[in-house]
Amino acid sequence: MTSTAQSELARDAEWQRLDPRMLLVHPIREVLRFLPVIVVVVLGSTAAGGEQWQLIGVGIPVVLGLMRYLTTSFRISSGRIELRRGLLNRHVLSTPVDRVRTVDLTSSPIHRLLGLTKVRIGTGTASTSDEDRIDLDGLPVDRARALRAELLQTSTADDVAVTDRATDRDVLVFDPAWVRFAPLTGSGVVIGAAALGAGSQLLQSVGFWDRFDPENVDVPGVPLGVLVPLLVLALLVLVSLLSIGGYVVTNWGFRLTRLGGARGGGETWHLSRGLFTTRETTLDDERVAGVNLSEPLGLRVAGGARLSAIVTGLSRSQQGSSALAPPAPRRIVERVAREVLDAAVPVDAPLVPHGPLAARRRWTRALLPALALAVAALVPVALGAPVWLLVGLLALPVAALLARDRTRSLGHALVADHLVSRSGSVVRRRRILEVDHVIGWNLRATWFQRRAGLTTLVATTAGGSQAVPVLDVPEDEALRVAHRALPDLMGQFSDSPANLDDGCLA
Amino acid sequence: MDGAPALREPSQRVSPRARLMWTLEAVVQVAFPTVALVVLSGPVDAFGLPWWAWLLWVVVVAAYVAVVPSWRYLVHRWEVTDTAVYTQTGWWARERRIAPMSRIQTVDHVEGVFSRLFGLATVTATTASAAGALEISGLDKQVARRLVDDLTVKADAVEGDAT
Repeated sequence: MTSTAQSELARDAEWQRLDPRMLLVHPIREVLRFLPVIVVVVLGSTAAGGEQWQLIGVGIPVVLGLMRYLTTSFRISSGRIELRRGLLNRHVLSTPVDRVRTVDLTSSPIHRLLGLTKVRIGTGTASTSDEDRIDLDGLPVDRARALRAELLQTSTADDVAVTDRATDRDVLVFDPAWVRFAPLTGSGVVIGAAALGAGSQLLQSVGFWDRFDPENVDVPGVPLGVLVPLLVLALLVLVSLLSIGGYVVTNWGFRLTRLGGARGGGETWHLSRGLFTTRETTLDDERVAGVNLSEPLGLRVAGGARLSAIVTGLSRSQQGSSALAPPAPRRIVERVAREVLDAAVPVDAPLVPHGPLAARRRWTRALLPALALAVAALVPVALGAPVWLLVGLLALPVAALLARDRTRSLGHALVADHLVSRSGSVVRRRRILEVDHVIGWNLRATWFQRRAGLTTLVATTAGGSQAVPVLDVPEDEALRVAHRALPDLMGQFSDSPANLDDGCLA
Repeated sequence: MDGAPALREPSQRVSPRARLMWTLEAVVQVAFPTVALVVLSGPVDAFGLPWWAWLLWVVVVAAYVAVVPSWRYLVHRWEVTDTAVYTQTGWWARERRIAPMSRIQTVDHVEGVFSRLFGLATVTATTASAAGALEISGLDKQVARRLVDDLTVKADAVEGDAT
């Protein structure tokens, strides 16, 4: 342990407040939060001519900020982190240092201006309440980094050495050219839709829609047939720009670094990103159970993908801390996956298809609803409903394409001690889970599946979405995969244990 | 090689009284929508239903109450060995769960309102995965107690931190 780290801990052992510069951050933030109230107060008092009201309007947030600063303190002593806060309700949060699983540093623009950062200490608790979070809001960046190194080292290895800078290596560095993928992701569409919704709400609140009359739209010199496509085009451009904006704000400066095991073997992954608010996450390599390579349709067509980690102790609600690569070119994302897994085979290995019966299930499941929709369109038209209802027939070819693609996606493999499973079309996912992190098996089969001799094999795990499903795999193959992954488990419950070792396809 | 390997069913059945409990649960389950239907179409007069809709509803509900509990009883089974826990639950969708003893974290014994009426209990063995809890419902109370003790001893005997 270095002398600086030692003094760091010694300093942390006493109850102490956060950085005094937070006295600047809190009032600014409170003023922003109370801005509408303050505006009303200021306007009202200007009209009434009373200046003391203006003082109160600014004063209350400042006092609140001061109170928060004075009432929050923390210490790290005898192996525990303790955080005290609250003015009226005293709240003491305490957790053992060796339970610390992640340390995130988040710096808003105000923080960055003052050289501060917010430290969020993650313990993998199931509680989602804000009250139970351990946030040290406002430490100088250097001190926060030292604290992070300290906390994560104590929890991973006892013999702590200096981080060997020489073994640190950048695995992924953001390339601005990747923003071309932004409009193609699902989140791009969501951001766009949200912005449109907000815009429409705004128009509604000024009474635009009441006065808007489609019959009377009249832009001089432009016929309606040109105007509508123009508007659609403008909309597409707008949504694209918004999603590019969102992508840049979140992922600018994305950098994934491997901090090398010079200190007692514990390798960690370090990730930082963000344009305005920067965020740094550190993951312990031992807790990275696998990766999830997902390709939303738009991204897949453009040759892109994104990558997140399945991290033991981080559940779905904390996915934010587990991104490994933003939407980026597929070959780059795959390279990152290989490096994180420390194995190339699971990423590249060809997958075993699930056979004709699984394919038939893809087709029936896609075609039946589409058929119902087509009938629902045909019958009214035959009875004299408007002809445009026939667009319902489009459901059939769309469903066929979907079924074909879903069939092609379907596959699994068990290679190099990793379970690989791929499925999906609109969002195709290749999930790769290290066999050591498989906690148990669920085999789920509906009556239809049983009739086709198929089952959905689910490997349960303690990270990510808690489960890696292998969809509609033939039952004997599911058994062989499960048996090869965790020997000595399935054999005792099998009819013919001897046959388990033969002919595993995966 | 004589045929493809297949998973056999777990060896133990749950208590036959579980059928009664599941029947009661099914009755309560269908009671709420039925009452809502009657109130909405009768006194409130939100909508009127033709006689065949009522007939259909009655047939579906009666079939559900009459068939599903017995079907469930045929499916629900469990087995505990020295190294693993194996459960089978469901009716239309059958779910088999297998977890190594070394991954069992906690063992819960719960007696719900309906269970207590019939002297039954539910035993749940949880793992570190939220998707991996093994639940055996409709066990005889004594059997459940013994199972909890058994599981606790066996899970303790295995080393490791179960994650």
